[in-house]
Amino acid sequence: MATTTLTPAASAYRSGLYAWLTTTDHKKIGIMYLINSFVFFFIAGLMVLVVRAELAQPGLQFVTDATYNELFSMHATVMIFVFIIPILAGFANYVVPLQIGAPDMAFPRINAMSFWMLPLGGTLLLLGFVTGGAAAAGWTSYPPLSEDRPLAAIGSGQDLWIVGLVLIGTSSILGAINFLVTIFKMRAPGMTLFRMPILVWTVLVTSVLVLMATPVITSALIMLFIDRNYGGSFFDPRVGGDPILYQNVFWFYSHPAVYVMVLPAMGMISEILPVFSRKPLFGYKAFVFATAGIGALGFSVWAHHMFTTGAVYLPFFSLMTFLIAVPTGVKMFNWIFTLWRGKLTLATPLLFALGFLSMFLIGGIDGAFSAAVPVDFALHDTYWVVSHLHYVLFGGSVFGVMAGFYFYFPKMTGRMLNETVGKLQFVLMCSGFNLTFFPMHELGLAGMPRRIADYSSAAGWNDLNMLATIGGFTIAASMIPFLWNVFVSLRSGKPAGDDPWEANTLEWATSSPPPPYNFDHLPEIRSERPLFDLRHGRTAGH
Amino acid sequence: MSSSPRTRPTPGTVVTVSAVLLLIALAAAAVALGFDPLGGAQGFVTGLYPPVAVTEQGARIRDLYTIVFLVAAAIFLLVEGLIIWSVIRYRRKPGDDTLPAQTHGNNLAELVWTIVPSLIVVGLFVVSWQTLNAVDTAAADPETRIRAVAGQFQWQFDYLSDDGQTVLYTQSQAAGEGGGMAVPAGRTVQLTLTSQDVIHAFYVPQFLFKRDVVPGRVNQFDFKVNASDAGQTFRGQCAELCGTGHRIMLFEVHALSPADFDAWLDAKIAEANPTPPPPPSGEAGVTLEVSALNVAFEQASLTAPAGAPFQIVFDNQDSGVPHNVAIHKDLPTGEEVFKGEIFSGPDKRTYDVAPLEAGAYAFVCTVHPTMTGTLTVE
Amino acid sequence: MTTDSHALVPVEHSPIAGFAHDSRGGISNPVLGMLLFLTSEVMFFGGLFAAYFSVRANAPQWPPEEFRATLQILPLVGPATILLILSSFTCQFAVWAIRRDDRTAFLRNMTVTVALGITFLLMQGTDYVTLGSEGLTLSSGTFGTTYYTLTGFHGAHVFGGVIMLSVVLYRGMAGQFSSRHHDAVEGASLYWHFVDVVWILLFSLLYLLPGR
Repeated sequence: MATTTLTPAASAYRSGLYAWLTTTDHKKIGIMYLINSFVFFFIAGLMVLVVRAELAQPGLQFVTDATYNELFSMHATVMIFVFIIPILAGFANYVVPLQIGAPDMAFPRINAMSFWMLPLGGTLLLLGFVTGGAAAAGWTSYPPLSEDRPLAAIGSGQDLWIVGLVLIGTSSILGAINFLVTIFKMRAPGMTLFRMPILVWTVLVTSVLVLMATPVITSALIMLFIDRNYGGSFFDPRVGGDPILYQNVFWFYSHPAVYVMVLPAMGMISEILPVFSRKPLFGYKAFVFATAGIGALGFSVWAHHMFTTGAVYLPFFSLMTFLIAVPTGVKMFNWIFTLWRGKLTLATPLLFALGFLSMFLIGGIDGAFSAAVPVDFALHDTYWVVSHLHYVLFGGSVFGVMAGFYFYFPKMTGRMLNETVGKLQFVLMCSGFNLTFFPMHELGLAGMPRRIADYSSAAGWNDLNMLATIGGFTIAASMIPFLWNVFVSLRSGKPAGDDPWEANTLEWATSSPPPPYNFDHLPEIRSERPLFDLRHGRTAGH
Repeated sequence: MSSSPRTRPTPGTVVTVSAVLLLIALAAAAVALGFDPLGGAQGFVTGLYPPVAVTEQGARIRDLYTIVFLVAAAIFLLVEGLIIWSVIRYRRKPGDDTLPAQTHGNNLAELVWTIVPSLIVVGLFVVSWQTLNAVDTAAADPETRIRAVAGQFQWQFDYLSDDGQTVLYTQSQAAGEGGGMAVPAGRTVQLTLTSQDVIHAFYVPQFLFKRDVVPGRVNQFDFKVNASDAGQTFRGQCAELCGTGHRIMLFEVHALSPADFDAWLDAKIAEANPTPPPPPSGEAGVTLEVSALNVAFEQASLTAPAGAPFQIVFDNQDSGVPHNVAIHKDLPTGEEVFKGEIFSGPDKRTYDVAPLEAGAYAFVCTVHPTMTGTLTVE
Repeated sequence: MTTDSHALVPVEHSPIAGFAHDSRGGISNPVLGMLLFLTSEVMFFGGLFAAYFSVRANAPQWPPEEFRATLQILPLVGPATILLILSSFTCQFAVWAIRRDDRTAFLRNMTVTVALGITFLLMQGTDYVTLGSEGLTLSSGTFGTTYYTLTGFHGAHVFGGVIMLSVVLYRGMAGQFSSRHHDAVEGASLYWHFVDVVWILLFSLLYLLPGR
């Protein structure tokens, strides 16, 4: 350990690219997480623009069936594993040590290693495109399709997919261990568990989910790899294996993964809403218990992805899936009553947070349809599900990411993002999002299955698909003001100062950007809002 | 802290104007592309519901959908209304630096919004469980037994005897002229699902139902098409990604009146079995050998005599994969002049081909349009 | 391991490191990290065990007819199991020794542990060769696949553990550990005990649980 602490201290003095590549500073690593994630976000976004262009009209115009399958499979894989999960880990990396008053993460070098596995894993995933075809069996990669069948047309790309995901999963597990030790052991004096910011709580629960669930998908991926390469027969029904086994093990991870992808976003929303309504979060403890409840219930609902397989006990998983709506609802009401009777400033972070509330509300309500098993028989594997999952993961997580980005950019860079351009981005993104994904509800109800490159013009799906494609390109257009805003503000944005938002938590008590090891001195921590207490006196908060 | 962005004039006007302009532009683009706004709005509302169900089970699922939809819509309006109300009502006035009341929570409120949603979801669970028990059944003695066999990338429908042990007739063409799965309207049909290769899913949107077709596993369910829907055809499609041809795994369901169905099935059985195979002509002349392996023909080109019958011996070496040999005029996409029986390998068939005119032809596999070769008739 | 590190951090850069770092006593960061890592390992093996139970339950007969007499406790597997269990004891003796600053006993016990670990791996390798010659391979149906996957991943963990313990032994010989400073020893021994427990479970499943 003696050498561990010397290294960052020494490297903090170096500057330039070398300092970034060798850093063990949680803030630099956090920023690299964000950059890496956005790069993969744009790659996966371009893939899906091709998909939407192909679906705009009946007929195959741009790609072959095989390429189409690669594109949507890799779009989902990259978005989930190399964008949403890591970018939230990136925010957590940057913010959690600051929020608990720690100088760094518990294991800075392991932290750097967790990060560097991501660009490597992501590149391995994409490498399939140049080695004769990327993975094309969907992001779920169900066997036997993902195994060795003549028509699967899946070559080494599927193996690269497995290796890439195992690497990214290992990165997640190491990150989760780091977060848990940091949160349990590195809190500043006075920072008791129930004074921790909600973001820290959500990262804690997320880390437990990652720690318990990710190794399970690693085992599934390794079994798939053994089946594909060494003549194994875990999932091959011809020699006694069971394809449904893969689905159980896969979803045992991948459903909790949904909460991994949304809980930290909820955490950031829970930081932003109080700041911009000038009120404390309504029902702090209820919120903490609801988060833990979602985490616990999240392990008992995986088979609702398998209702139509005919191989799961339907009533149990149906009931648990319905029940998980309750803690989610508690959170929704707590957020709304944080706004209630507040004094709202509609800055861009709050706009994206409100977008999160509205979109996630739709995504969450959609979940009740899927929980009703017979309704799921009609909706499963149609575009309705595509709509549902994007309302949760885009309308929820990505809007949360954007809210967090506008909120924390001043802290990370010392400069404000432009508010007008930010609002333009919000309007474009929100309208584009709804234009893309709301019609998909109706496409699914009208019977359009997922994962098809083409459809009959007689099926009645033409208008809705055109609408979704226009929406998709509108979302892409919203990235232009976003990138412009980032690059211009980095050079000439308004200086932010320590605490531009009059925020509540410790990260705003240090300079922007914070110095190595974060704090020169810490304010007294007597509540979950130490900076509010400092500004208004401790009695004002009650 | 002194230069808080909040104290600047709000850029809201700029954004509102640009938002309105954007929406107008989008609407104009949509109309220009031939979108009918009024019909669109109407379609949008009806589109929130699934299609009218044509089976007894589907109708119950649709009823359940209606219940869930109404509850969901009420919750959405309430919660979204609260969000919008809060945003409009509780805006901070410019220059107002006072703090609002610092409410930390309310245990009674937390209790209410834990218990009330719990009751709602448990209620929805009970209702959906009842529906589940009514729609997800497989009776011991259904009136008609059909087995759907899925393979990359086609469906085949076996009509089974009453005990389910014997195949009476196999419908190997899943859609189009003379194809499709005929079912008796008004009778309970038990569908058994088996897969030859990967996972598929049997999905008929108007049944509001789908069920996965899993290799190594037998799935069964009952459905009863409404008697009043006899004479109709319903579109069906594979709903589980099964490879590059996933989207072409289409099929049709024809609802026939019970009498028509019985007559149709009897005719099909009679057609399939009775005539003894014609004796080998002995003077068939040329025999061409074609083999398929790894979803490709091993021969790139063949030559046959013009104006004389010939035979094709087709050796399908792909285990579990269905292939055939069909002959198309000029190009693989040209007019079909001969279609051999589709069968799964490893197996062999001999096709008798009627005399062809001299010219260029292509031979293709009907199941896999990418498998092609050229046939020269001279 | 953490207590003596603060002096090395320039105070002006880490003014709060002194009290933010482990001031509450209790379990140290590396040991907590190892415990959490082992939680994830439990879940990993949980996935493999679930697969084993699933294919076992689906099979018409277990072990399949042709492999009914293939897996034998003697001559190799039983003794190897005893050696691995013994190595857990010697590993713990090493931990107790360093806790009381008895470096000689620590090094002696750690050397024995590493040697036992290597012996286990050699015996497992020999057993694999024997089984392979009898026709049981990774591709002999679900029986062979699950057998080699479970024992193979356990063996890989033993291998990792041997490496870890060897590093600890090397550092111990360089005199890097004391009663106040031996988190690496505690962490490596936790890992080794875990590997041992997994083997006891595996051995019970594969060799003791009656077939049907």
